[in-house]
Amino acid sequence: MDPPPLSLNQLSALLEAAPSPDDLYTSLSDYEEQACLLASQPDEVELLVDFYTAFFFSHLLTDQIHEARALTRRIPRDLLQTDSLQTCTLLLRAIWQRKHTEIYKILRELPWPERSRPVVQSYESYFQKKTLKEVSNSYEAIRPAAAASYLGLNANLAEQGDTAIIQKFTACGWRWDGETQLLHPKPIVTAPPKEHNLQNELSRVMALISNHGR
Amino acid sequence: MSDFLGRLSSVPSRPHDPDNISAERYDRQLRDLISYLKQPGVASSTSDYSDFFEIVSPSVHSLSFLFLLRFQIQLVQKRTKRDIPQNLHPGGDLWKQVVRFLRSFDPIQIRYAGYEWRQLVEVVASAAQAISKPALAVKVIADALGRLNTSGMFTSVHLTLVKLALLSSSYTHTLPIMDKVLCNFPTDTNHVHHETFLCSEHGSSAAFITDTSGFSTKLTYRDHLQFYLYSAMIYMALKRWDHASHCLSVVISSPTANSVSKIMVEAYKKWVLASLLGYGKLPPTSRMIAPHVTRVYQSLARPYVSLAEAFEKADLQKMSAEVDLGQSIWRDDKNTGLVSQLFEAYDKFMIIKLGRTFSALTIADVLQRAPSYFKDHYDTEEFVASLVMSDTLRATLSHLPGTESTTMLRFCLSTQFHAFREEHIRTRLMRGKSALNTIAKGIVQTDQTLELSDENLHFIARSQKWNGDPEKSGAVGSGEAGVGGDIDEDLMGDGH
Repeated sequence: MDPPPLSLNQLSALLEAAPSPDDLYTSLSDYEEQACLLASQPDEVELLVDFYTAFFFSHLLTDQIHEARALTRRIPRDLLQTDSLQTCTLLLRAIWQRKHTEIYKILRELPWPERSRPVVQSYESYFQKKTLKEVSNSYEAIRPAAAASYLGLNANLAEQGDTAIIQKFTACGWRWDGETQLLHPKPIVTAPPKEHNLQNELSRVMALISNHGR
Repeated sequence: MSDFLGRLSSVPSRPHDPDNISAERYDRQLRDLISYLKQPGVASSTSDYSDFFEIVSPSVHSLSFLFLLRFQIQLVQKRTKRDIPQNLHPGGDLWKQVVRFLRSFDPIQIRYAGYEWRQLVEVVASAAQAISKPALAVKVIADALGRLNTSGMFTSVHLTLVKLALLSSSYTHTLPIMDKVLCNFPTDTNHVHHETFLCSEHGSSAAFITDTSGFSTKLTYRDHLQFYLYSAMIYMALKRWDHASHCLSVVISSPTANSVSKIMVEAYKKWVLASLLGYGKLPPTSRMIAPHVTRVYQSLARPYVSLAEAFEKADLQKMSAEVDLGQSIWRDDKNTGLVSQLFEAYDKFMIIKLGRTFSALTIADVLQRAPSYFKDHYDTEEFVASLVMSDTLRATLSHLPGTESTTMLRFCLSTQFHAFREEHIRTRLMRGKSALNTIAKGIVQTDQTLELSDENLHFIARSQKWNGDPEKSGAVGSGEAGVGGDIDEDLMGDGH
């Protein structure tokens, strides 16, 4: 079934409904055709900028960084020059280069369209959680300033041993060693994703054997 | 008019048929309907078909709807004298009906109108390209192909899809189609078993996608190579190097008569780069590539081979020189983007390689032992941390106490990392189970393809015996012994 016509109200309703990242991506993906057709209409710039900003973030929220990059190539060039989509491009570059401090700075300090703010905040929270897991599993011991930078907290305060910041880490199960002034993260173990690829790989091998045996 | 409508709605799709008729009868009904719709006079029985689009359901009366679309398109083309009239452009009334159909058609009914179905898909592709928005056709065509379920059959529509996806940088919707194994071509109608009807359940799409079914244009060798080259390019854009290498391997290991084609050489160049980016080395080329063909590739892609040699020997200076020297070559081959990623890949694999020698070392040691384009200690630590955090490098980092910013990198043994976690052991068991299932299925399929089933071998043995020519028949038909023994004997015979 075709989605209702894309409009600012429709987009707002969709974003305010706060669907899961996957649902948000699917819904916005269904609207891409309409957006593409509206692209030639100059009075729809606001709608399109808001749509593409939200769609861009739905890629990030579903960890589709390469596809997000591909999206920036599909967005009409004149729209890409708008502030919001320029900021998206900056953010993508920072994520690509894993510049954590820059990522938080872009998310928090650069202007975002009012309608996109919920999705920007969702991404900030998602990115923070994702990074917390990555740091927890990668570091055996970490200086508070480095940990704070990764999680978008005040690195200067952390370096001075600010109790509030240290408490944020200990609340996640990390251990604070006052003597060495180091934090000891607690690994976050999650069930590994199911290996759908393996099935494909083997099917591929069997198909090749089957074909080349002819 | 009412008679026409009556005929259009005479054969509903099977889930909507209250009578639950037999496959034979349903097949006959669909063939009758097709014959009716293809009659020369039908198309001109009314002047405009657009009213029917609201009456006839594309999912219930798919065949009729498909022909209505054809009639309407032909009508508008005739009226406007344009191949792609305005209302067939994306967003137009006719475009909307075409999209509606391609997203809801009944795949069983459509088996009877492969040619018409493909023509409609091609119209969608042309219409989207006509307004320079190929992205608009990608999802529609991918959905239509998924709906048809070609199950492993390569068609010209697959090639159209990847071309459009590449043109428009719309990769996501294409992946479900590309990720499927395509290992069959539409075969000669004579080889298709006719015991069942087109509308019956078929284990393989080979029963309804044949060289005469119309679902594909006549495929050429070039089409096949292009499909895999374009697919590889899409995978490379998404940095799925293993898939890209596989697709490129298919191209470069394709059979050759006398010389390799340009596409194959292009694929070889990209294969060299994709292998370096994905694995940090050039894996041995497939055994299916004749040694002289490999030599031809190597001589035609000399700058790439030199670059790969420098990469593999960890000679950063030589690699940089090769990259600079070949700028115009990479540009002409449209491989500049891939080449520019080599430096980061070089650093990545250099650090991964350190784990084979050392169990732990400081970041300062990493910087010393893995010379790279990193400027300083900070850059190196940032890069190493990104590798560890993204799970590319199985290691852990530890900041050491003290004021100086020393960081220790500890490489994990692969067993140390996962083996003792219950979840992982469980997953590994599940993987083993599903691997065995897939292999078992594959063996049955391979036996069928190679015609190695017991029944077939018995049949061959018997028919050769009837021919009364035991000399010619070889060991298979040479005696009363069991089938397996005969084959062994034959193989031994060949060995002498």
